[in-house]
Amino acid sequence: MSIINIMMRGLFTISKWELRRTRSTISLKIRFISIFILIMIGTASFFAVQSGLHINDNIYKVVVTDDKLANVIRSDSKFEVSVLEEERAKYLFEHDNFDLLIIGKRIYYQNTEKSISAFDSLDKTVKRYNEASLMTFNDLNNTFPVWVSIENVAREQSFISPSVNKLPEVEQSLNEISSSGSQSDQAIAAVGTPGIGASVTANPEIGKSDSSQLPSIKEIAGVQQFLPISEQTLATPSHISPPVPFKSVVLSFLFIFPIYFIAQFFSSSIMEERIKRKGELLLVSPVSSFQIVLGKLLPYLLGSIALVAMMTLRLGGSPWIILVILPISLMYLSTSFLGAIIARSYKELSFVLIFLSVFLSGYIFFPAMFSNVHAISIISPMTLVVRLLENETVSISDYMFSTIPFYLVSILIFIFGIFIYREEDLFTQKPISGKLLDSIQEFIKRAYVPLFSLSIVLIPIAFSIQMMLIVLMFNFPIRIGIVFFIIVAAFIEELVKSVGIYTVFSRKMSDVTTGNALKFGILSGLGFFTGEKVLLLVVIASISGSAFGSVMGAGLLVFPLLLHITSTTVASLGIRYSGCRYYFASVILASVVHAAYNLYLVRVVILG
Amino acid sequence: MFEKTLVLAIIVQLFIASFSSLLVIGLASFFDPSALDGYNSPRSNVGIVGTGELKQFIVKGHVSALNYNNLSSAVTDFYRNKIDAIIVIPKEVANGSEIIQIMTYLPKSDIKGTFAMLQLKKPLEKYEAYAQDLRSSKLGFEPIRLIVDKSPKKTSTYFEFIYGILIPLLVFTPVFISGGMIIDMITEEYERKTLDLLLVSPLSFSEILDGKIITAIIIVPAQAFLWLLLVTINRVVVHNIGLLLLLCGIVAAIVVILGAMIAVWFRKRMVSQYLYSLVLIMLFLVGYLFANSPFNLATRLSAGSIGAEALVYFGVYAALAFGLYVGVKKMGTR
Repeated sequence: MSIINIMMRGLFTISKWELRRTRSTISLKIRFISIFILIMIGTASFFAVQSGLHINDNIYKVVVTDDKLANVIRSDSKFEVSVLEEERAKYLFEHDNFDLLIIGKRIYYQNTEKSISAFDSLDKTVKRYNEASLMTFNDLNNTFPVWVSIENVAREQSFISPSVNKLPEVEQSLNEISSSGSQSDQAIAAVGTPGIGASVTANPEIGKSDSSQLPSIKEIAGVQQFLPISEQTLATPSHISPPVPFKSVVLSFLFIFPIYFIAQFFSSSIMEERIKRKGELLLVSPVSSFQIVLGKLLPYLLGSIALVAMMTLRLGGSPWIILVILPISLMYLSTSFLGAIIARSYKELSFVLIFLSVFLSGYIFFPAMFSNVHAISIISPMTLVVRLLENETVSISDYMFSTIPFYLVSILIFIFGIFIYREEDLFTQKPISGKLLDSIQEFIKRAYVPLFSLSIVLIPIAFSIQMMLIVLMFNFPIRIGIVFFIIVAAFIEELVKSVGIYTVFSRKMSDVTTGNALKFGILSGLGFFTGEKVLLLVVIASISGSAFGSVMGAGLLVFPLLLHITSTTVASLGIRYSGCRYYFASVILASVVHAAYNLYLVRVVILG
Repeated sequence: MFEKTLVLAIIVQLFIASFSSLLVIGLASFFDPSALDGYNSPRSNVGIVGTGELKQFIVKGHVSALNYNNLSSAVTDFYRNKIDAIIVIPKEVANGSEIIQIMTYLPKSDIKGTFAMLQLKKPLEKYEAYAQDLRSSKLGFEPIRLIVDKSPKKTSTYFEFIYGILIPLLVFTPVFISGGMIIDMITEEYERKTLDLLLVSPLSFSEILDGKIITAIIIVPAQAFLWLLLVTINRVVVHNIGLLLLLCGIVAAIVVILGAMIAVWFRKRMVSQYLYSLVLIMLFLVGYLFANSPFNLATRLSAGSIGAEALVYFGVYAALAFGLYVGVKKMGTR
């Protein structure tokens, strides 16, 4: 009790110092400047909303003979329009780089990518113009007669796309589907025939300007905003768009934005202590490195939670958003902490952080773009934010599935970082890889069954990278995607399993003998197998039916165990005989063994 | 040291590239489902309930359809995953005066629903045009119709995304990175107190600053060139490469000198990087506010819509960069 008390007191003291330091760094002058810049940003975005963004302005060059038509085309700023008489226009079209030629009402285009794209764009512009003109009639029934109502119905989604049907697990998954089918019978009643006869006429905005036949440019630009009424549940056929929730994704970006800054401050603060060597004093004080790191983290973590809470209040989202973003903040803070410890200079820190944040942002935002499209998007917590913003519900299992990897990985990074939060790593110019090995060495020194538990502990990291790979693979042809995924996934797993063995051998923590190599290989492989199976029970259950799931080890029990042990032993024997310098070659060899087995497993899918 | 920075920068770029190519494929496939033909896309079946003139349009539109007499049998099949969308044919006719409302049911959060809707979109649009023609002629409305011999089957989305967003972003990403880098380089000298050592040498502060600024600027066109090379390998034609590199060099000068000014002024990395990010966001937004901004110039140059005429605007930006340079020099001598 009292020990905890003392520990907490130490922790809070560090937090207080950190807070005071940040406050003194950010002086009144800097606060004024940042408010000034923020006001400028606000003004700029106001203008952006007013006049639209100038993307693709004047990208196409069109030559026309009809003056009236020229004005229609000019309503779209993508076109640079010249009006000339026929002969001259024809000549210019053939000799100058014009994309389209319009003589009277007849269009000519060239067989180039740009010209064809100009044609399509022009088609859209003319359509939009026609729609805007139609809108000036105050008669919806005769101008926009066709409306499509879209009702999105929740349905149990099978994860098997048709081309993956021939997998070993297929029977099991089919059973699952049929059983879930009977469950959803009750839901049919709920669907019924809602919404038919919903009043379309209750739409006062359309046709507010009455008599004038020709629409202004502003009205034409406004068409896009008018017609898709209420978030794509009711639209005219030409305005139906695929359900990609760009708006919510952009909105959710606003939530992440302050976190970037806070993480940036956190890493700067740690790096500054290292560079100015102020942190040395703290390290010799009786507070432990654990207290120092958590004490420093606390203000930043609380700050980010407070900011997200404020944003949620302002933007009117569900309070659950705070809970969904918490693991994301933890992740950004943990990676910037690690970056600040391993980098040797500010410049290196910048690059490490850019690299990590690009990877993280990709992991977070890319799946969220498809949040209404495909179930795989749940691997990103951002998808849950998008859903909450769109007033949909999020289940506990969704939350667990997408956030547990984030929690685990960030806690892990903190633990490994705290291992090397000491004099010899903070205030020396060791290379990044040396510091990472240091932290693994510390783990091996302290853990109970070191290599066995190291494999288990590193699984969340391997898992997250593999999840990212799945997302990347989803857009490639499925066969190539699977093959590529298997190879890269095998490499990552082998790297994770053998890095402990490499550390033990290269740091001379045990004798480099064949016996040891065998022992370590078996321990490490066994550890990974055990951890993977536990993880499967917790999170991957929902994707086990897919081809990717089977590669990740959802199949039988005996073979994966043998596989993990064999391949890791290959790597460890490789290190034993070829030496630590050829570590990567050994890992690649192990990955080949690993990938070959997995490729054999899904051969039916790949060969068709 | 310099080489290592460049290597790191290139790795980061390649990394971003892997995402952007993914985005291109993803986006293009949404707007142009035919692009997905080679991708074993899941085939979606559509259930049609009832009969009417709309049905002809759907049948003609190569939609793989199943017919149902009533909604409830279609819904049953929908839950059995036999069909992925249901469309109810309305009773109203195109020649009448009632609003024609078409009910569709799609599976929530399912890519098959997207595919089904994309299949239905074309026939529905044709039907709309048909009905619109019949009815709007009653109002005496004459739409503008252009004539073409053979209309190409390609959308502009892909092209406009590549030249309008991707290429400007690729060309200017190194600029943003360089701006951050100059801040790191300068503030580190202040914080490590190594600047005093350097000043003991015959170099003046102003010369040291020049060296750093030039380093940060020069790597930008080099990186941008690699980007454009990568894009070209992907069979995207990029015009005016020389002018593009010149443009990103000038913009790099503006951003790097701004970064240097901030760093010299505040001397602390934390504050400088924070303010730099804010300034960058502002510049980014402003960059989309006017037609001859560096972003849009990059778009037009790479698409070949403008050539040497662009040099006029280059001059304006170069003058701005020069002004800033004079400013930072004044700060340095203080």
